[in-house]
Amino acid sequence: MLAPINERMNIGKGINLNLIKTNKFKSNLVSLYMEMPLDKDDVTKNALIPLVLKRGTNKYTTNLDIERKLEELYGAEFSLNINKKGERHVLRFTIESPKGIYVEDEKYFYDVIDFLKEIVFNPYLEENSFSKKYVEQEKENLKKIIEGKINDKRSYAITRCIEEMCKNEKFSIYEYGYVEDLDSINNQNLYSRYEYILNTSPIEIFFIGDYDDNIVEYMEDTFRIDRENIVDVPREKIINGVQTKNMVREDMSISQGKLVMGYRTSIPYEDDLYNALLVASEILGGGPNSKLFRTVREKESLAYYIGSMVYKYKSIMLIDAGIDFDKYEKTLEITRGQIDELKNGVFTDEDIEIAKKSIVTSLKSVTDSNYLISEFFLSQILSNDNSTIDETIESILNVNKEEIIEASNKINIDTIYFLRNENL
Amino acid sequence: MDKKIYKNQKIDEEMFFYESESGLRVYLVPKKGYMKKHAVFATKYGSNDNKFIPIGKKEMIEVPEGIAHFLEHKLFEEPDENIFDQFSKFGASVNAYTNFNQTAYLFSCTDNFYESLELLIKFVQNPYFTDENVDKEKGIIAQEIKMYEDSPGWKVFFNCLTGMYHNHPVKIDIAGTVESIQKIDKETLYTCYNTFYHPKNMVLFLVGDISFDEVIKVVEKSEKKDIKNNIEEITRIYSEEPREIKEKYIEENLVTSIPIFTIGFKDDDVGLDGKKLVKKEIATNILLDMLFGRSSKFYQELYNEGLVDSSFGGQYIGHKSYGHSIIAGQSYKPEIVLEKTNLYLENMRNKGLNKEDFERIKKKNIGSNIMGFNSIDFIANNFINYLFLDFSFIDYIDLYDSISFDDISNRFNNHYRKDNYTLSVVKPV
Repeated sequence: MLAPINERMNIGKGINLNLIKTNKFKSNLVSLYMEMPLDKDDVTKNALIPLVLKRGTNKYTTNLDIERKLEELYGAEFSLNINKKGERHVLRFTIESPKGIYVEDEKYFYDVIDFLKEIVFNPYLEENSFSKKYVEQEKENLKKIIEGKINDKRSYAITRCIEEMCKNEKFSIYEYGYVEDLDSINNQNLYSRYEYILNTSPIEIFFIGDYDDNIVEYMEDTFRIDRENIVDVPREKIINGVQTKNMVREDMSISQGKLVMGYRTSIPYEDDLYNALLVASEILGGGPNSKLFRTVREKESLAYYIGSMVYKYKSIMLIDAGIDFDKYEKTLEITRGQIDELKNGVFTDEDIEIAKKSIVTSLKSVTDSNYLISEFFLSQILSNDNSTIDETIESILNVNKEEIIEASNKINIDTIYFLRNENL
Repeated sequence: MDKKIYKNQKIDEEMFFYESESGLRVYLVPKKGYMKKHAVFATKYGSNDNKFIPIGKKEMIEVPEGIAHFLEHKLFEEPDENIFDQFSKFGASVNAYTNFNQTAYLFSCTDNFYESLELLIKFVQNPYFTDENVDKEKGIIAQEIKMYEDSPGWKVFFNCLTGMYHNHPVKIDIAGTVESIQKIDKETLYTCYNTFYHPKNMVLFLVGDISFDEVIKVVEKSEKKDIKNNIEEITRIYSEEPREIKEKYIEENLVTSIPIFTIGFKDDDVGLDGKKLVKKEIATNILLDMLFGRSSKFYQELYNEGLVDSSFGGQYIGHKSYGHSIIAGQSYKPEIVLEKTNLYLENMRNKGLNKEDFERIKKKNIGSNIMGFNSIDFIANNFINYLFLDFSFIDYIDLYDSISFDDISNRFNNHYRKDNYTLSVVKPV
């Protein structure tokens, strides 16, 4: 009942077209994802590519031309970015525009597909390589993005905790790359990198909306390219147990301390216990009913926010909170106590029901957004999981208390990170 | 009972309306086939309303900064069971927010919608403040305030408001300060509650695959019965605000990788409401898009010179008693961006705006508006905001369509002047 993939077809070596037919939305959406392994040597180049591609194409040579074309396509929303999904680096191109019926222009969607094709396959080139000017300018912009890591203190603390915790693993690599690697990038080696990605990366394309045979055929023709060897993007390695416990403190001139606690769960997403882990994390720090919210915030007034989250591909769990600097010990102590309770089964059947309902609601809500539908199915494909949203819901509902306790007992603290102000 | 249906064929949407016995206005935008159902119960009461005449009294009072937001937190308190828990049991997630002009309580869910709706109406209509629970909240809100103190984006915006306004309460931080919230007590909370949480001052807005008849039944069953419908309009006092800005330049140092800036142009064409206000807002936003948007030559020029990046852009915010255009971004040289902006505006005043730009921007935004109706959250946020401006968002696209190039030109000539802006900058420590 909940938007299954209607058709999945292989249209070229390592290129799949996924069609999801629905009348629910007033727009059609196409997303194209290119997957790469997350590698320190390539990460900065990968992050620079979307910025350069947005500057121009063969037909629309400047960003001004691109922006004006999008406006003419009835305000089509185009986004192009890079994301870390586990130990993969994923380049995403998405375009969404109103259905023809709403703008009295039935055929223009072919133009939208052409536009996407132009961005992906025909970047603006000078002497068979990216424009030197564009690349140099975007290196500056990428530098700003990388340095901008400190601007949002909450996400900075989370990123830093992961960096410390996984410092010997690829997962610690920053998705936007490293300033020191910018110097060695030029228009030529960057273009070679993009050609390599185009030729070797697994590509998943999603179409969500209203389509007919002509559109499907047009999409197939547009995105079918001849390629030879497709790279194998390996599955993340999961570390079992904790080698060394880690405590990291960092100083910044801020008003509120940011505490992040990193746990190893040792439960891969393929494991039957994985769903129980999701429910356990929800009981612990999912919403306002969770154990941490009730104690740390409502009972002790220590924080405005505290929550926990499981990182699917890497099987780690993070708890984060914003607290006063001198409440560090107390918050840690309460959190440890709550985790011990979870391990000892000190939670009610009602807590379980509430946690399940919350997860199920988020899953069902996925079907209300064309973008989330494409992200959901991409995640299923990346994790070799064929279940539909309905089946995923079913397996969450089947989790029992014993499994939650078993999953909780696999959770081990690895790294405690605290961002504080030494002068306060 | 007066039930009405409003339709808009262009976007293929409709809206149901009815007014309850106590004077509460209830609206529903049905979305067939959507899983998520969303309800917002909101009052026309925000951080700007800090001077008013309490219900049944004659004298004006001034309340501590941040009290509307504090009240929002405290309404979740009930004598017996925790409100969060009750919503959680229905699988609904409940939340609330306070801004300058409204306080909203909302939940979204996929199941048990009508039970959750009943709970929403009841808890918002049932305040329970004690000295103890008021005191407990001060620690939590202090952490919320500190979180914002560490946000450069929030600070640069508020500093800009402080620069533009002399007296208008829009310059006051919504959550107040760690000091001001210490002055809040349960008596003042009740005074604010009794004045502003009258059903006549509130709206209930619903969106999703929901039956309006069921909604009406729930409202009739759960709304408070002992409320007088014939109350007078609330008197809110906003101090006289001069036409001029207060300060041209404000700077602060915070942890940020690069200076961020906000140029605020203060609007003196105020006092409008309803359709006229919204029309002015649309015209100003089209104008900002034409002048500073991605498809403007000016943005592209600054971008090419490395003076701004893709975070640069402008937005107009307008209410009855105040309004401002905000042009914001990050730059190593905010002063140069301002200088170039001034030269550019001067140049455009002489040269005149381009009609093609106008047509393209309009086409784009009409498309965006249509796509917005894909999203339950977009629908809820916009309808609520505009209802408090006495405008129905279902008509928005038609009003948009009616804006002419002349409307834009007139607005351009009056709003962006040499003497009505503040530059606020947050620089790295």
